[in-house]
Amino acid sequence: MFTDKIELRDFDKMDPEYKELLGHVLTIQADCEIGGPHLYVEKMLGAAPTKLDQLIVARTAAEEIDHYRKVARVAGHIGVDVSFVLSQPNEKRFIATFRGLINTWEDNAVFGFLIDRVGRYQLEEFYNCSYLPLQRILPDIVTEELGHIEYGFNKTLELIQSGDEGKEKAQRAVDFWYVRALDMFGRSGSKRSERYRYWGLKRRSNDQARQDYMNEVEPLLRHIGLKVPDPTKGRQYI
Amino acid sequence: MPQAVANLDQMDEHLEAVVRALYGAVKQGIPHVKEPQIVDKAIADCKEILDEIMAGKVDEWLN
Repeated sequence: MFTDKIELRDFDKMDPEYKELLGHVLTIQADCEIGGPHLYVEKMLGAAPTKLDQLIVARTAAEEIDHYRKVARVAGHIGVDVSFVLSQPNEKRFIATFRGLINTWEDNAVFGFLIDRVGRYQLEEFYNCSYLPLQRILPDIVTEELGHIEYGFNKTLELIQSGDEGKEKAQRAVDFWYVRALDMFGRSGSKRSERYRYWGLKRRSNDQARQDYMNEVEPLLRHIGLKVPDPTKGRQYI
Repeated sequence: MPQAVANLDQMDEHLEAVVRALYGAVKQGIPHVKEPQIVDKAIADCKEILDEIMAGKVDEWLN
């Protein structure tokens, strides 16, 4: 296992595999950061139920754009240009969850509750990682992601508390997004994931991170009166 | 040191300005959510800025 801590000035000396993996993971992270606003801004900025919610949609998008900027800067300094993700269509996003469009408020709420939470898990993988410029941008990004998750949770709860119709909408959205959230962690037993861990770029296996996520989310779903979807149904990666 | 990508600082500065403008518009609107003229203007400003970013015409941003 690689346990050194790397600064930008050390990057040229690193093994080609390390360079490739770091560039790859930064590209995916940048794509996910900008992929969120591309899913919800078009419809939700106008369709959010209140003016305050509309402004919060805009603020959330601003924060994600800023996260993209910070990741793109770290990538850019090692010669990896991620700017192409700013203009690529949603259908070409690296992670399937970001392909498409959010059309309903319940989907937007549950997206924050469940998918931004996966985002937090992905970022937490880099805690104490071997590449220090990446580690340094994490605290502010994670703090803002926590705000998105809390907002999504509260809006999901509001829907549930609005009555049977709202609860059904929330359950349908959870059924849709939960399996996508689980797939976002990637294949169990992934060889690439092992190499990330070897080089100190990630902490957990895909399977472990997914299990930790399920252990966190399932009690929350039950607590707010929703059913936990079958975690094996409709999955792309097991 | 590795060679940084071209226009990195320019892109960073542009996006930082975009984010600042969005925060500014949101900050204008939030205390006035019950005053349609002010809040609608703030939301329209956010939409204009976000539409440009979502369009993703990166070359135009840097020229």
